[in-house]
Amino acid sequence: MKPAQFEYHRPDTVQEAVELLDEMEHRAELMAGNQSLGIMLSTRLATPENVIDINRLDALSGIEVADDRVRVGAMTRHREIERSDALGRAVPMLPEAAEQIAGPAVRNRGTFGGSIGEADPAGNYPCAMAALDGTIHLRSVDGEREVPADEFFIAHMFTELEENELIVGGSVDCSPWPSERSGMAFDELKRAAQTWPTVSAAAAVRVDDPGAGDPTVEEARLALANAADVPLGVPDAEDAVEGEPLSEGSLEAVAEATMAAADPEDEMHADAEFKTEAAAEYARRAIRTAYERASG
Amino acid sequence: MSVDDTPQTEPPTEEISLTVNGETVSAEVEPRLKLSDFLRREQGLRGVRVGCEHGVCGACTVLVDGKGVKSCLMLAVQADGSEITTVEGLTGDGGALHPIQEAFHETHALQCGFCTSGFVVATKELLEENPDPDRDAIEHGLADNVCRCTGYQNIYEAVERAADYADEGSHGGGDG
Ligand code: FES
Ligand code: FES
Repeated sequence: MKPAQFEYHRPDTVQEAVELLDEMEHRAELMAGNQSLGIMLSTRLATPENVIDINRLDALSGIEVADDRVRVGAMTRHREIERSDALGRAVPMLPEAAEQIAGPAVRNRGTFGGSIGEADPAGNYPCAMAALDGTIHLRSVDGEREVPADEFFIAHMFTELEENELIVGGSVDCSPWPSERSGMAFDELKRAAQTWPTVSAAAAVRVDDPGAGDPTVEEARLALANAADVPLGVPDAEDAVEGEPLSEGSLEAVAEATMAAADPEDEMHADAEFKTEAAAEYARRAIRTAYERASG
Repeated sequence: MSVDDTPQTEPPTEEISLTVNGETVSAEVEPRLKLSDFLRREQGLRGVRVGCEHGVCGACTVLVDGKGVKSCLMLAVQADGSEITTVEGLTGDGGALHPIQEAFHETHALQCGFCTSGFVVATKELLEENPDPDRDAIEHGLADNVCRCTGYQNIYEAVERAADYADEGSHGGGDG
């Protein structure tokens, strides 16, 4: 048997789950979709005494769009995010990020909250949530608290999450992104479904008048995955495109700002220099695509 | 590397009851038992292939409540109350091949066959969701499965042929 022995707990309510967590703290591992934890258990890199399986917490699963706020429950599977029409209208970056994760069998199980908690620098949702100024919602026996995405991620597998806390979901304010004059893009460089992307870029752009030939960019957001050890926002790139129609010149400035901000790790198949250049190119593409989508 | 597997205490166990290929099964399992090992070893379903055992190859793909899942990344205890279909559950009376299996056979979509049950099960889910997939959709639909010997072209052809059979609605056994 590959995983080491552990005690299994399957709470039926969120309250029960946080009580278990509070009791066990570091002696327990939460099990969401198990698409990453399952690997760690198989290799015994993780040997928890207790596993708290949160797959039957229906309250944590689902997508809600109300009053300009989109909320995605932690146990919502990638497949549901990928196929959600409501998300497709309000924050199309999320379904686009979801559909590029692995293959269908992984997306049938893997969850939004699991990916946020894993905090892999190459992860899609951490990057998208950073680009969208999203909020991560946490709960413990002491109640709920909210952490802005750009403060939540500290390093690979390190986040603001306390030992006794559970990620219950994420939310995004979509009022800056009215669909008729906004566009979003999530663009990744990836060679095979099973691998993590080498780099990804997430962009959102709002223009003044999509009917105009070259509409002016009112607001732009850009974040990159795997270009640093946390999702990397590039404010200089955003500044470079705002206040004028998108041009080759401003896209060049996006690429330069990204190169300057990127601080990636070497990997077996991509050294830091290559990843920096790829990040710049993907930043440029994502901004361009988002602008084209915003312009109708 | 040697791993000391001797449990310090009596291993904890859990009762589960689930449906496997249409039959109700009850068992007492250790929580760390993977669904793949439960199906292959304890239920004798040798069509569930155990390759990498950590989510990379897709050989262990089965349907859980109709959805494709890598059974090495699910615990048997998590399948409590679910309906499982393995490749064995696709064949018709007297072992008649399912149209998808028929199509794999005819297009030479296998060599050693190790990956085949995973591909066949993944194809079942794919065609249920998209009865007429183009190449791109097929590639994406089978992206979780790895084949080390046949190459993917024949496998993609098999999926196209299986889709045609489903259109004709008259080929082979099973419930295609
Ligand atoms: S054995 Fe499950 S994915 Fe390889
Ligand atoms: S036929 Fe041998 S691995 Fe696919």
